[in-house]
Amino acid sequence: MNGRDLFLVGLSHKSAPIEVRERVALTGDALKAALAELRGIDGLGEAVVVSTCNRVEVYVQAEGEEAACRFFTSRSEASTGHLYLKKGAEAVRHLFRVAASLDSMVLGEQQILGQVKEAYGLASAVQAAGPFMSRLCNRAFATAKRVRTETEIGRGTVSMSQVAVELVEKIFGDLKGRAVLLVGAGKMGALSAKALASLGADRILVANRSVERGLALAAQVGGSFRSFDELPHLLVEADVAIVSTGAPTFVVTAEMVSQARRGRRHRSLCLIDLAVPRNVDPACGDLGDVFAYDVDDMQRVVEQTQEARRSEAIRAEAIVEAEVMAFTREREARAALPVLAQLRRQAEGIARAEAERTLAHLGGKLDERGRRSVEAMAQAIVNKLLHGPTAKLKQAATGGDDGLPGAAAELFGIAEASTQEPPRALPAATPAPTPAPSAAAADPVAAGGSKR
Amino acid sequence: MSIVILRFAAALYLAAAAAYIVFFARPRHRRVATVAFWTLAAAFGLHAIAIGVGCSEFGGTEFFSLRGGVVLIVWLVTGAYLALQRWYNLPSVGAFVTPLSLVVLLPALFGTPGHPTVPPDAIRHPTITIHVLAAGSAVALFTIAFGVAIMYLLQEREVKGKHFGALFSRLPSLDALDRLNQRLVRAGFVIFTVALIAGTLTAHAIWKNAWSWDPQQVVSVGIWILYGAMVQLRHSGWHGRRYAVMTLVGFAIVMSSMVSLRLVPGITRHSGDYGTGGSVEVSQ
Repeated sequence: MNGRDLFLVGLSHKSAPIEVRERVALTGDALKAALAELRGIDGLGEAVVVSTCNRVEVYVQAEGEEAACRFFTSRSEASTGHLYLKKGAEAVRHLFRVAASLDSMVLGEQQILGQVKEAYGLASAVQAAGPFMSRLCNRAFATAKRVRTETEIGRGTVSMSQVAVELVEKIFGDLKGRAVLLVGAGKMGALSAKALASLGADRILVANRSVERGLALAAQVGGSFRSFDELPHLLVEADVAIVSTGAPTFVVTAEMVSQARRGRRHRSLCLIDLAVPRNVDPACGDLGDVFAYDVDDMQRVVEQTQEARRSEAIRAEAIVEAEVMAFTREREARAALPVLAQLRRQAEGIARAEAERTLAHLGGKLDERGRRSVEAMAQAIVNKLLHGPTAKLKQAATGGDDGLPGAAAELFGIAEASTQEPPRALPAATPAPTPAPSAAAADPVAAGGSKR
Repeated sequence: MSIVILRFAAALYLAAAAAYIVFFARPRHRRVATVAFWTLAAAFGLHAIAIGVGCSEFGGTEFFSLRGGVVLIVWLVTGAYLALQRWYNLPSVGAFVTPLSLVVLLPALFGTPGHPTVPPDAIRHPTITIHVLAAGSAVALFTIAFGVAIMYLLQEREVKGKHFGALFSRLPSLDALDRLNQRLVRAGFVIFTVALIAGTLTAHAIWKNAWSWDPQQVVSVGIWILYGAMVQLRHSGWHGRRYAVMTLVGFAIVMSSMVSLRLVPGITRHSGDYGTGGSVEVSQ
């Protein structure tokens, strides 16, 4: 058997346009079926498929990448030119970077880790992922967590609606007992209103010129519809107003707000203008207790965040690198273990057989104490002989010399079968990303990879 | 002796202030805030010992000097902030209040503590302890309110001026600061009222005259009216920037009156002469 290694074949927003990505992307049952199909392929160990709207990546533990490539080419011929292929440590690094959101379209976004976890959970549930993938993925999750806690890559806000939430949060803390007013039926406005609902807004009021669209939007965001003519009055009632109409002029004028302030008794009013051309008179922001923001202000926050995240990414890459190295080292250390165990088993078997033979020859001439001495001597010879090789093998393994275990196996004539992967015995009952207990027994990939 | 202990306490204040500032600069390191909290708690404890030792050294007379007053108020400010931190968990406030305490405490660390001669029967009068402690506590709360008001004004400038800089992300929300300010002012006002009542009773007992147009009495009533007005205005919707500015003004009046009335000898009987109204004697 040739060495099995980790292969990654995939495409992402960096390599393929959406037209290609959408043709190979899989979800739910289709993904399960695809995993089952991969599982059935001869010579393929374990597999995990990460499929999101920005990437489709097939991680396989196999002798080659063909099966993973076929996964794509059989779905879309067009994908051929957009695929990237990574092997071994490169593939490990890629997965760690993906999980840590270093390869994401929006650097540092939080969703990808959950998506990778889901991908592993699914592969594990259909038994496509085994002990190796369990170790690999758990390491990836741990890396992502380290990156998130040790760097500030996840800090700040990168979407307009999140910026709106942050601004409102800095003014009001939360929105309990407060009302949010949505003026106009723009898509961004609806998104922001929904995001603001997360701050516990009491009521959402929707004002729109078209009653029909206004009612639909109110139903969508869980608010109540109000007539557009009520606007001056609504500005007294609401604490946050999100304005995004298609009107080419100011819908909320300084005069209107100035009037509303009289009824507000110094309560703060936050005006968020998402429209271009602007719908809120910028002069409103000069009034006391009124905080007004337009698209440019919010875009600036997004850019600041992106800038900060890019500089944090450098630190994150260092963490990923350290984790990849640690993972690789562990893998190699694991590779030496089956050889060692087999070596010891073999030697002890010989010692036991020889001791028994000697004792049989001597017949009843030895008392119990004498018999035990002979057995102890045989065991002692084994221990002394194996002491050096054991130490060397362990050292070689942690030091990254993957040639020695293979050489040792050959030198001592250890049976090939002993280091081969056990049949896929991964219990289906471990969908959670915890290492299966059997994982400690042997790392089939690493063991395979160590032999040539 | 007490001043040596106080200097050690001041060293801890310095450490706590530094830790709070480091935390403010690097909010990700939450442990630093914890370290700052416990360092400040240690400073508070040591400060208490210094005050206790001072009491046995000077027999309580030190509280009637500016220095003693400041030492007491800083201790109370620290205690109040520690309690606030436990309730509201706003460690960024520490970066403002702790350095402020340290700066106020600094002059008290140098030179020999002077203390006025106060007749023993005045010190032993029960209401005077309440008067001193309540007045100190009220000023302590006004001091923290002052720190919070400054934070409010800084944050408002960030939010309204669309700066979104380092302060923006580190300072609590305007609403949180505003409400904290209001609570501090309200609590300070209530305790200040207690101080005035206890003071009046003390004056009646020792000076034999509840109201003698003593400048400290006049200023104190002025301060009481100002903070009382703030508590009232809150009900008619006043908040935010105006409230923060009023807090600054109130604190400025409290501090300047405290200092100036003690720098002019003999202007108020609060400076130490608690007897019949003669000149002030300050023994070293």
